[in-house]
Amino acid sequence: MISQLIKVSACAILAIVTSAATLRAGELQVFAAASLTDALKEIAPAYEDASGNKLQFNFAGSNTLTRQIQEGAPADIFISADEAKMDGLQKAGLVLEDSRRSLLSNTLVVVIGANSTLKLDSPQELTQPAIKRIALADPKGVPAGVYAQQYLETVGLWDALKDRVVPTENVRAALAAVEAGNADAGIVYKTDAGISMQVNIAYEVPADKGPAISCPVAVVKGSRDSAAALAFLKYLQSEAAVTVFKKYGFGIHQ
Amino acid sequence: MGASEWQIVGFTFGMALLATALIFPFGVVLAWFLARKTWPGKSIVETLVALPLVMPPVATGLILLKVLGRRGPVGEFLYKHLDWDIVFTWRAVVAAMAVMSFPLLVRGSRIAFEAVSPRLEQVATTLGASPLRVFLTITFPLAIRGIVAGSLLAFARALGEFGATILVAGNIPGKTTTLSVSIYSDIQLGHDSDAFRLLAVSVILAFAAVWISEWLFKRRTT
Amino acid sequence: MSITFKDVRLRLGGLALELNLTLDQNITALFGPSGAGKTTVLELVAGLRVPDSGVIELDGASLTDVAGGLFVPARKRAIGYVPQDLALFPHLSVRQNIDYGAKESASVRPKVSREKLCQVLEIEPLQDRMPRSLSGGEKQRVAFARALLASPLLLLLDEPLASLDQSLKDRILPYLERIREEFAIPIIYVTHSPAEVRTLCDDVAVLREGKCVAHGEPQALFIETDERVYRWKG
Repeated sequence: MISQLIKVSACAILAIVTSAATLRAGELQVFAAASLTDALKEIAPAYEDASGNKLQFNFAGSNTLTRQIQEGAPADIFISADEAKMDGLQKAGLVLEDSRRSLLSNTLVVVIGANSTLKLDSPQELTQPAIKRIALADPKGVPAGVYAQQYLETVGLWDALKDRVVPTENVRAALAAVEAGNADAGIVYKTDAGISMQVNIAYEVPADKGPAISCPVAVVKGSRDSAAALAFLKYLQSEAAVTVFKKYGFGIHQ
Repeated sequence: MGASEWQIVGFTFGMALLATALIFPFGVVLAWFLARKTWPGKSIVETLVALPLVMPPVATGLILLKVLGRRGPVGEFLYKHLDWDIVFTWRAVVAAMAVMSFPLLVRGSRIAFEAVSPRLEQVATTLGASPLRVFLTITFPLAIRGIVAGSLLAFARALGEFGATILVAGNIPGKTTTLSVSIYSDIQLGHDSDAFRLLAVSVILAFAAVWISEWLFKRRTT
Repeated sequence: MSITFKDVRLRLGGLALELNLTLDQNITALFGPSGAGKTTVLELVAGLRVPDSGVIELDGASLTDVAGGLFVPARKRAIGYVPQDLALFPHLSVRQNIDYGAKESASVRPKVSREKLCQVLEIEPLQDRMPRSLSGGEKQRVAFARALLASPLLLLLDEPLASLDQSLKDRILPYLERIREEFAIPIIYVTHSPAEVRTLCDDVAVLREGKCVAHGEPQALFIETDERVYRWKG
């Protein structure tokens, strides 16, 4: 038990130290919510060519990233999946307030496995007995899960369904659980469902019933090159980046 | 420490106990074979048994996930015929704990068996005892201290199991959340004082288990 | 009772055993220096070891026949075995040690009486003691009793007096004589002491480097050099 903790801490320390050691001039550490993985990876090469900077990504649940930044991880940019996490960092004085922008919006969808024969056209049908397990990113802290819980509370189904919830590390893990058949249904972002061939969207949460999903971006205070960080931030709002985001299904805040 | 925290401690303790009890008969018998017999392919068996000890726990967890998931070879069979879900249930917790602590049980028991002089077993045989009787009346009683010590170590390992457990059982409050997983998620959510309380409990449990185990190992030689 | 070795061969470490002989006296000594293979011969007779080839017979019935694929396991041979370190079960009392082989014995001999045995070996008062609390001589007698209570057809003793000092040897020797007289169980007795051979045994087979180099009466093979010291004339 102690040895496990020592191992985890040692790995964390090692990761932080080596990532700090590999920072060279012109390299930006981007901490981004897991839901942005594919879009950002596609945006990166064009930015790197144009600016000459290298981008290093760290994708995870926003709560994990928040925690890492609080503990002093060397992030230059933080893109969160909800405003609450960013508020927390701003209050702690860990981000440059002036750089903060609400970048993207998203939609929630209910997904089922690609081979599933479940009939699921409305939220109420989530309560059918055939649905034994519903995968959500951990509603206690991961934005995708928080949004999902908010939605289920809005339609009055949270109490009925909460015992069937399987909380996962981040929204991509929830997606993976549905893909593998270990969960019968899941609530993820539309953008996640879009990249997976092994799930189908059962239905999309309409804008008026769903929570307002907003992904803010900001430069982290400890950044070694805030000028470059700001430049990247600006790039994310450019025509080229917006096209990619839209392609994946994100909405854009103007 | 609130009620839910005690639930987590009790759940982890109970699952670790169950896991240790399940691997005990297999582990002891296998340890005896490894101590006393040779056969072609014995070194492969030895390596397989030692694997969970040296592989990264999450790697073992991944293998378990693939095998025990609803579409995996074992998981599909159990789901179809017994309506048993393994992944994301307490069964996965027990499975992960069992796999990860199995090598420790086998190792300790094997050493204990090897310490029993084969001459004693030979004399028992000449006195007319069947192999089973020799095992039950001579070998096992003389090896018992080392076997118990090995089992305690396995139990302690099961208590602290994290990497494989979180992958294959997840973190479902009240259902699969173990002590170490709870500490992890408390840290993630910024609930540091909760995390430290649970940390204290795990340190105490681990300390006690290892201390008793060491004491038994030492007394074995008197 | 006779034990016959027909063309028995065994390679073990540096030892090359090769035996062709019959032992049919009451007490036969296996005599020779260490490394000659004496303990190995006992293991072969007891059924604790399989030779590379050959046949071992007890009163004409095969116990081991390598070519014929026959090997009677030790537990069915009813052959008692007292190893050099005695191997008393440390976790069992004297009583439990002695009784261990009594019930399940494969022997067809008339049963040895427990009372008589404990009397002859003078171990009555030791019954509830644990082996580690016994003296060297007491352990020796308990080990004999344990083997004898199983009423074996044949008793194998591996250097029973080797680890005892002279005074103890003098005290145990009479017990062996008593066993010979009271229980009439044939014994094969491994030793490297000419004195024991002369005093106790009717027959002696001399082993050297795995082969039997002489076999006959102790009086013929061992000559007295001076008082109480015997030397093998080979």
